Amino acid sequence: MAERNWVKFEFPSDTRNVAFARTAVALFASQLDWTLDELEDIKVAVSEAVSNSIIHGYQLGAGIVRVEVEYEGSKLTIVVEDYGQGIPDVAQAQETGFTTIPEERMGLGFTFMHEYMDEVLVSSEVQKGTKVILIKEVPQRPEG
Amino acid sequence: MQCSFNTVGQALIAKLRGELDLHTSPQFKEEITKSFTTHPQIKYLIMDVKDLQFIDSSGLGVILGRYRELEERGGRLFFVEANPHIKRVLQMSGLQKISEFAGSTAEVLQRVEGGQL
Repeated sequence: MAERNWVKFEFPSDTRNVAFARTAVALFASQLDWTLDELEDIKVAVSEAVSNSIIHGYQLGAGIVRVEVEYEGSKLTIVVEDYGQGIPDVAQAQETGFTTIPEERMGLGFTFMHEYMDEVLVSSEVQKGTKVILIKEVPQRPEG
Repeated sequence: MQCSFNTVGQALIAKLRGELDLHTSPQFKEEITKSFTTHPQIKYLIMDVKDLQFIDSSGLGVILGRYRELEERGGRLFFVEANPHIKRVLQMSGLQKISEFAGSTAEVLQRVEGGQL
């Protein structure tokens, strides 16, 4: 049977916690056989998901962000969830360059998540919150 | 995150150390905006990212904002000594298309001062 392990944590919607979240996830994920570049990719994806929760979910206000990380075999699954205002149009929000704050943001958060992870699943309900699931599998590496 | 600024003629050298994300980018934005306002002659922004360990879209957004200002001034944007990870993020963001990677600050300054830009 594939080896399984998981960790869950939650924190207030405070920008200081973005660095904590990405570092903690990368530290846990490093139990699998990633290259340093792949771990950096995971950090960027988590940073984007958590930043979205804080900026868009809670509009930089109070709230709770919840993170779950789990692996089974070589497959890593990261869930970033908030209970904020939600995304009215999930497909549009994931388009490159789409942003609700054009003077400040590049609209690249989801682009980076899609680029750096194998799979990104987003579910959201207005006034209820958003859940982003990031999946990445350790690539097969040549022996030796 | 620490940032320091140095002006040489029309060039502003911004040296970043640490991680540029949602938490640290407002401080960077405030300081670099101040440098742009204080030195209206600035046309070339040299981002020394040798000691920058992490950047995400929040940090890139601030740099893009300054690029738009440079563009209005007819200037250029440079990234110096980017590590492979930072390079990849810059490439993916499209910022690489509107900037140049350079090996050293001295090299860019030489081109600026030599009128090669």
